[in-house]
This record gives sequence, C-alpha cells and structure tokens, in this order.
Amino acid sequence: MTENRGLRRAGLILCLFWLFVAAFPLYWVVITAFKPPLAVSGGATYLPFIDFQPTLQAFRDAFAGLRGDFWGPIVSSTLIALVATALSVFLGTMAAYALVRFTFRIRLLAGIVFAVISVGGFVLLDVYTALRVPYALAIVLVVALAVSVWLNGRRLPGPVLGNDDVTFWFVSQRIFPPIVSAFAIYLLFAEIGKAGLPLLDTFGGMVLVYTAFGLPFAVWLMRDFLSTVPLEVEEAALVDDIGRLRIFFQIVLPMATPGLIATSMIVLAFVWNEFLFALLLTTGDWQTLPILLAGQNSSRGDEWWAISVAALISIAPMVVVATVLGRMMRSGLLSGSIK
Amino acid sequence: MTGRAAQRDRVKHLFIWPAFLVVLAISLFPLIYALTVSFQTIRIVPPTPPRFVGFDNYAEIATSARFWGSIWTTATITFISVFFQYVLGFMLALALHHNVPGAALYRVTFLLPMFLAPVGVALIARMVFHPYLGPVNDAMVAMGFGNVPFLTQTWPAIMVLSVIDIWQWTPFVTLLMLAGLQGLPQEVFEAAQVDDIGPWRRFWGITFPMLLPLSVAVVFIRLIEGFKIIDTVFVLTGGGPGTATETLTLFAYNEGFKKFNLGLTSALSFMFLIVVILFGTLYLVAARRVTRRYE
Repeated sequence: MTENRGLRRAGLILCLFWLFVAAFPLYWVVITAFKPPLAVSGGATYLPFIDFQPTLQAFRDAFAGLRGDFWGPIVSSTLIALVATALSVFLGTMAAYALVRFTFRIRLLAGIVFAVISVGGFVLLDVYTALRVPYALAIVLVVALAVSVWLNGRRLPGPVLGNDDVTFWFVSQRIFPPIVSAFAIYLLFAEIGKAGLPLLDTFGGMVLVYTAFGLPFAVWLMRDFLSTVPLEVEEAALVDDIGRLRIFFQIVLPMATPGLIATSMIVLAFVWNEFLFALLLTTGDWQTLPILLAGQNSSRGDEWWAISVAALISIAPMVVVATVLGRMMRSGLLSGSIK
Repeated sequence: MTGRAAQRDRVKHLFIWPAFLVVLAISLFPLIYALTVSFQTIRIVPPTPPRFVGFDNYAEIATSARFWGSIWTTATITFISVFFQYVLGFMLALALHHNVPGAALYRVTFLLPMFLAPVGVALIARMVFHPYLGPVNDAMVAMGFGNVPFLTQTWPAIMVLSVIDIWQWTPFVTLLMLAGLQGLPQEVFEAAQVDDIGPWRRFWGITFPMLLPLSVAVVFIRLIEGFKIIDTVFVLTGGGPGTATETLTLFAYNEGFKKFNLGLTSALSFMFLIVVILFGTLYLVAARRVTRRYE
C-alpha cells in the first residue's frame, strides 16, 4: 500500500499545482481591477493593502462611460446570448426528441441529389439570370428540398442513413472552421441587406447566426439526456391518446430539466464568448462584449486596471455557469453525455 | 407499421424540421455561395464585377508562402497544446477520480477557464506575460533570466499562445476523462486488486485501453477546435512579429477584411477546410491503428 500512498501524494501535488496555475491569472485580474495606476507601472504588485491601496476608481470610470460605452455591449451581449441560447436549446431539444423516439430513414441518393441540385442550380441561376444572390439561394433551397424529400419517399437503390447519421450531420457542423461560413454569411447578409432586410449588425441577424451555431451542441447533448428519460410514462400517455406535442411539453421537458439546464449553460457560454462571427457581423449597434474586450487592447495600452474591469465583466456570468456545472458534474449527470 | 402508427409518426417532422432548416439555411447554404465565389474574382474595394477565373484563386494560395506558414503555425500551436492538455487533463482526472483530498475545492476552479472568453483570457495573459511589469517576468528574474520579449519574438510568442490554450482547455479533457473513468465497470479493478496487480500495470493494462476510444474522441475534438484558433492570437500578437504567429483563421480574416478580395478569401477558407479534413482523416486512421493493437 506504500506504493499507493506515493501515488496519492503525487496526485495531490499535481492538483495543488494545477489549482495554482488555474487560479493565479484569475486572482491577478481581480486584484488588478482594484489597482491604482502607480501599482501597475512600478512593476508587478501582488497583495492588496500591503503592496498597494485598492481603489474602486477603475469601476467608476468604466460604468460612468469615461472609457467608451460599456453598457451598450453588455446589454447587446446579454440579450443576444439569452435569446439565442433559449432558441437553440428549444429547437435542439425538439430535434433531439425526434431523434430519440422516432426512426428516420434517409436515402443517401436523395441527399446527393439535394447537394447536386443546390450547388448546380445556384451556379446556373447566378450565371444565367440577373437574380440577386439571396433570391437565387432561396429558390434553390426550396426546389432542392422538395425534390429530395419526394425522392426519399421512392424506392431508391443505395445505402439508407439512420438516426445516428442525422445526429452526426448536426454535430459535423462544428468540424467546419467557422471562418468558412462566417465570410459567406457576411456576404449573404450584405446581399440580403441590399434587398431590404437588414441583418448585418442587427439583433435578429446575430440571434439567427448564434442559434445555428448553438444547435449542434444542443442536439448532441440533449439527445443523451433525453435517452435517459424513461419511456413508460410516455407510453402510458400515448395509450390515453394524448398528443405528442403535449407529451413533449408537459411530460418530457419537465423530466429533462437537469439536462436542459446543463445544455443551456454550455450553449450560453459558447455564445457569450464567441468572437469571430461578432467580429465580422457587427460594426457598432450590436457589438458584443468580446469585441469590446479585443478593442481594449489597442485603445487602452497599459491601463491595466481598465482592461481588468472589462475582462471581469465578461468573466462574472461565467463563474455562475461553471459553478452550476461543477455541481452537476459531482452528481454524475455529465457522464451520460460522452457515450 | 400500421397506417395509424405511421400517421402518428408524422409528428416527428414537426420536431426535427425547424432545427434542420436553421442549420441548413445559416450554416450550410452560405457555403454554396462561398464555393461559387471562390472560383471568381470579386473585390469590394475597388468594386469589380465578378468574373469566373476557375482554379486561379486556389493556385495562388497554394503557391503563397504565407499560407503554408500559417498552416505550420496553426499545427504547431495545436499539437503542442493538445498534447499537454491530454496528458495533464488525464492525470488530473485520475487524481480527482481517486478522491484526492480537497476535491470540492478544485472542481469549480478547474472548470472555470474553459468557460471564459478567449479574448478576455488573452488580455489577462498580456498582463501576466508582460516583459517588464508582469508576474511571470518577476519569476524569471528570480531564476536569473529576465525580460524575455514573450510576445514580440516568434518562439516565445508561440509558446505563450500554446500555454494559454493549455490553460484554457485542459479542464475540457479532465471533465470528459473523469466522466469516462466514472463510467468504467468496477469489477475489473476489484479483480486486479485481488490478483495484486500494481497501479502502474493496472493503468496501462486496464484503464488506458478501456478509455482509448474516449481518448481518441476527446483529442479529435480538441484538434478540430484548436485549428480554429484566432481570438487569442488576434489580441496578443495580431499574427506578429511579421506573420510568424499568423494562424489560418487570422490569415483568412486579414486577407478578407484588409484586402477585400472575397474570391481569394473564400478559396482560402475552403483550402482551410481541406486541410482540416486531411488532418482529421490522417488522425483517425492513425488512431484506428493504435486502437486495434489493444483489441
């Protein structure tokens, strides 16, 4: 057993080491937010009240708007994150429920036909007609969907894809480097804007993008949470001829509450922290916090106390998220989601 | 299936179509547009009418040294950080799984980094790694070599970017590996204990092989996510010195929003996609080989 004790000690040392590594930068940003300018420019200082006298000046300056508009990005970040999270968790849960309780059969050939019609059709419309890009895409989308749904009902040769493949299709959206679609979305939104519907730098546009961005997480996580909800209650309700929608809203959703909370937290964190889409798609009115933060770097120089306040504002809500998830991790809730 | 059941089944479309359509319209359909654009020259500034140029854009990128440089930078940062994330994360998960004292204290602190905005983390890192005023410099001075220009020299900058990624994403590995450890069947370990098999052999003989599929998946996710790195680089070095720390996403962003050459940028992002798919496939093939050896 001595061997084991040695290992335990090594584990403890590793954990303490990592605790220090993980916590030190956080400690640093917290104390720096309270530092007066002299405590920054004179070299590193570590202990409040001993190394320097803490002051609230940086917070006052920030919220008084002395260093640029803080409230605007805070409000837009909050609104966009909450609405987009709610939408993607809701839509994702519905999709996940369908994937857990029903069987889907999609013929590979119908999928290929869909891809061929949409790419080929768009190129044709783009080259041979004067149609604006958004209209051309919309027409192609509707036609390709209609044809492939119709084809899927025929008896076609070739492999048939099942539920796992549909899930993989959702999750695979995360494999694409976001820059690929970010630029395309930027171009598309600009075109749609010219056609009369402003989406660049608007609430609606950002929510739309982030809803799509969060959906792969939501579908993937909720599918695992929902598969642990017992079937018997639902079957009893079905026998009583209660509709699927009512079952979903009144039985399934309440039973999956822990899963819903965990998924919402994870999606919320991703939306709240997202940088690239916000960088490309917002210019002013709906700028989010990460963009404000990135701007602090160039506009503030070495005013570390101001930078720290800005960083703390973006960190604070995530402390809550991590705490909630930490609790759930202890209860073993997350162990289901890795299968 | 009876007619009635099939009819009742139809409600499934109501459940899945909204999500399907949103992903199709926002994530996938713009790609078709980008694919078309990548075969054209389109400039916004100065505006030129689109013109088909075939594979010219792709050829131009494939021959650009900056493109290969950015692949090299991205791959270096990703491989270094994923390696350490996996080793450290797995070790931490093992320690937590075996109820190291004070586990409650670690959980939230360990989790927190992965939920912070990378942009914010980069700002913190800029203070911590300041060559004169930062605490890391203090520690370096104490060890006898101070004032390392962390962010303005190639290798230190790449190291700092990797360290940030390790700091932020080791918790992700810990979280998933811990969940995996908790899901392992206890009987095997009890049997091994009875046979008096030491912890070292227990790990390499039982734990590691059983968690290999999960490890493969976790590392895969981190590799894919790592390749997307832009936020921290954007804030910390802006790709500099020169273009020495320019990652693929940052390169594409710079091309697109500084030169407004959209055809080239779209082609670049598809080359990026090809690189990711290539690396991903190579990794999965290699991983399958390793997994098979343990079967």
